[in-house]
Amino acid sequence: MPDFEERELVERAKEDPDAFGALYDRYFPQIYRFAYSRVRDQSLAEDVTSEVFFKALRNIKRYTYSGHPFSSWLYQITLNAVADHYRGQHGEVELEEGASLPSGAPSVDDEVVRRDRSRRVWSAIDQLPRHQRAAMVLKFGEDKKIEEIAQIMGKSAGAVKLLLHRAVERLRRELPPEFEAGLT
Amino acid sequence: MSQDPELEELFQDPAHREVVDLLKLSRPAAPPLDPNFRTYLRTKLMTEAHRTLQPRAARRGFPFSLSPKALAPAMAAVAAGFLVVLGVQIYLQNQSPTSGMVAVDLSHIQNKTNVATAEPIVIPFSGPVDKNAVADTVVIEPATSVKMQWVGQNLVIIPDHPLAPNTTYTVSLKASAAPKESRPNVQPTPAVAPSPVVVHFTTVRAPVPPVNPPSYRSRNVTYGQENRLADAGTVFNGGWTPTGQLIVTRPTGQPGPGSSPAKAITASGAAPKATTDVWLMSALGTPIRILVPGGNFPAAAPSGGVFAAWQVTSSGQTRLAIWDLQGNLQGTLATLDSMPDRAPAWIDSDRIAYVTQGRLVIVDSHGGSVNAPAIRMQRGSVAGSPLGTLLAVEAVDRSSVLDLASGSLNPLPAGATGFAWSSRGDLGFLVPQASGSQLYIAPGGKNAQLIASSPGGQTWSDLNWAPDGASLMLAGKPAGASSSASRLMLINVDGSGLTTYDTAQEYSSPQWSSQGDLVLFTRQDEAGGRAFWTASTAPSESDAAAKQALAEVDRFMQARLTGDRVAAQESLDASGLSAYQGGASSLLSPAGTKFERYYPVTVQLTGSNPNRFLVGVRIFVSRAGVQRSFFEEQLTLVLKDQRYLVDAVTSTPAVTLGHGPTVLSYDVVPTSPGYRVRVHFDADLRPETVTRDTIQVKDADGKAVSSQIAFDPETHTATLTLTLRSGSTYQLVVTTGVTDINGVTLAEEYNAQVVGR
Repeated sequence: MPDFEERELVERAKEDPDAFGALYDRYFPQIYRFAYSRVRDQSLAEDVTSEVFFKALRNIKRYTYSGHPFSSWLYQITLNAVADHYRGQHGEVELEEGASLPSGAPSVDDEVVRRDRSRRVWSAIDQLPRHQRAAMVLKFGEDKKIEEIAQIMGKSAGAVKLLLHRAVERLRRELPPEFEAGLT
Repeated sequence: MSQDPELEELFQDPAHREVVDLLKLSRPAAPPLDPNFRTYLRTKLMTEAHRTLQPRAARRGFPFSLSPKALAPAMAAVAAGFLVVLGVQIYLQNQSPTSGMVAVDLSHIQNKTNVATAEPIVIPFSGPVDKNAVADTVVIEPATSVKMQWVGQNLVIIPDHPLAPNTTYTVSLKASAAPKESRPNVQPTPAVAPSPVVVHFTTVRAPVPPVNPPSYRSRNVTYGQENRLADAGTVFNGGWTPTGQLIVTRPTGQPGPGSSPAKAITASGAAPKATTDVWLMSALGTPIRILVPGGNFPAAAPSGGVFAAWQVTSSGQTRLAIWDLQGNLQGTLATLDSMPDRAPAWIDSDRIAYVTQGRLVIVDSHGGSVNAPAIRMQRGSVAGSPLGTLLAVEAVDRSSVLDLASGSLNPLPAGATGFAWSSRGDLGFLVPQASGSQLYIAPGGKNAQLIASSPGGQTWSDLNWAPDGASLMLAGKPAGASSSASRLMLINVDGSGLTTYDTAQEYSSPQWSSQGDLVLFTRQDEAGGRAFWTASTAPSESDAAAKQALAEVDRFMQARLTGDRVAAQESLDASGLSAYQGGASSLLSPAGTKFERYYPVTVQLTGSNPNRFLVGVRIFVSRAGVQRSFFEEQLTLVLKDQRYLVDAVTSTPAVTLGHGPTVLSYDVVPTSPGYRVRVHFDADLRPETVTRDTIQVKDADGKAVSSQIAFDPETHTATLTLTLRSGSTYQLVVTTGVTDINGVTLAEEYNAQVVGR
């Protein structure tokens, strides 16, 4: 959707329930996916997604365009909702330095191999420290620009680059060797 | 692989680049998602949005609190399936001193236009009502046979057949609040609202009937808006009915009208448990009704409003049977030990072919065996020609066309597979090569000719003819690519114009609707699942003259609807202006009334050089904002200086709305030989009243032209097959003998012009 169309839709959604419904239809998949990537539990992901959209509905009249896509605002709410959820709890599981990443035997079929690799690399991302994980999911799972990720995470672009760099370096060190062999 | 300058800049170390490249090729696995959750949450949000984004006056009413757990199944079903929500805010005073008021929130539909014809109607109540009493009072005009059920506090009205287009419906009901729970010395007395709830809505405009059928031209068709039919994993397979609905297989337990665990077959003992059901679904993805509990692989018959499917029986076997679109079993054709892995194939509408135990079997629609040579088959393709005379089969040893009359086999090129017959009776098929695919066409099933070879070693599959038989859609993927690279393509029947639709996800299995306006296909969704989608298509410029004439009529009518006399007169030639000024009809609405809306009733090409069209328009007249009557004009348009102008007009007397069934539209379709005159009604009719005595075409002497008549209750359409003389004018007469299902006759005899050419 072109930027101006999205802005127009968001403005309409401040008064028009159908326009808000259109925003929901557009952003539900990625918000749910992002929520699930953070909490790794279907029921929790549903709770978080529900909270995100209800918060958005309650506050949409106060939303003002800041040069970033509307989705950035939803991602911000999602991160806050996840943080709220874990507040007072033990927090998300952090990967210990030196912990081994998942491995598995290669498959015969190329597609299966590709999917298996994909599953395993994302499984490895799941176990990165949470800020690295959020940055990686937004960059490689949601194709966000670094500036947008920075806005969503409330960090500077430089800090996001650092998170991405550290995450990739960690994956490079810890993924099994056949991953890289399979790339060539 | 797409380039991302940010990543290029950030990761310049080759070791990092390898990891980044792997990440760019990968996507996280689709998270598990309850398909009901998305629709349930949307419903909750929309309820809240209507409450908060559209401030209204504070309302007294039934103390109503949305309880997610209690309402989840109902709301999910409503959100998933029912798009038509009647809407007027109505409060029903309960006479019981202990009760509050029950509201019917109908704000979404009162006087709404463009309501889809295949969607159930939902009337949501905010509190408990006497459900049986409410359902008993529902009256729909025009007469429409429906089934009703309750989903929570929502009354769901499910028309047995699609609603008529271009029609204003009135739904009325008397709502009774539910009795309060019994208390000592208090007799529960449901209270009836003092006046009935009355709701009006108007259905979508129908496509203008063809002038030179088929009016749809698939060549250079463009690809329009895509719509997800259902979430991934909620529709396994499906196909179009001839009337533009879908018959699909869904996992058992999906929400929708009539779904009930008790209805699904759950075999006991060692018998396998059925995991799928066959449903009727609208083109918008609304489940209309469950047709076959425990069913799978449905296949709609080319005509007759029936379909065949496989069904798991209570004994654990699988039967092949035929049902109508209400889900009524018409007959069992065969019983097998296990479920085949594909739909049976219709041969015309009276025979069915299927494969079992490595051999081809053909049965008639009563299950009787049809003589055919023994043909060994495994997973090969099989398809019957539209006339029912030929059957293309991919046998174990070779592919052939079987002549069902003589039993002879005409061999096809080695490896021929993926058979598809066009409406014209041409057979299309593919022959895989070591590198790429070859597309063949066999006109009439004979003399197969190589039409095209896939460029660059592409693999082609999933052939599907456009309804006009002028082009085919197929799925193609580049050489060596995975299935995720599959794209939809269009190619003309002569092999020209290969077009790849520029799409981002995996697309496959295209199926064109019989009207050519939609394509059903599967596509990878955002979460990586495989879901059914539809795409609208826009025909290329065709019927240009008819379109131009209709565009002029629309300009003319819009000017009249807005009361712009000057603009309206610009569409008249001198003769047309004289006709209106002479009182042949009213150019603008009389004082105190308003021309509210119009639609074309018929379009006929009545002359050429210059082109001359007869366009019938129905004009609805309102008073005090309420549509009360209609009348028709028959406009003659003549091409003058590159523009069509209204040259003549005749009009009918006004007909008051709401007094029995009416003729909705009619069209005259040249066939070979003869003509078909199709008369479309707005109500469900008693079929026995649709006869050659009640619907006639009369010549200039008033003598009825000999004809045959057929009636399709699914579309409320009577079809006369007859012969007309070129250039002669006839009169279509529909008498008051035609009666709706409630026994109400046509309000007035209907008369209209039919021109042979």
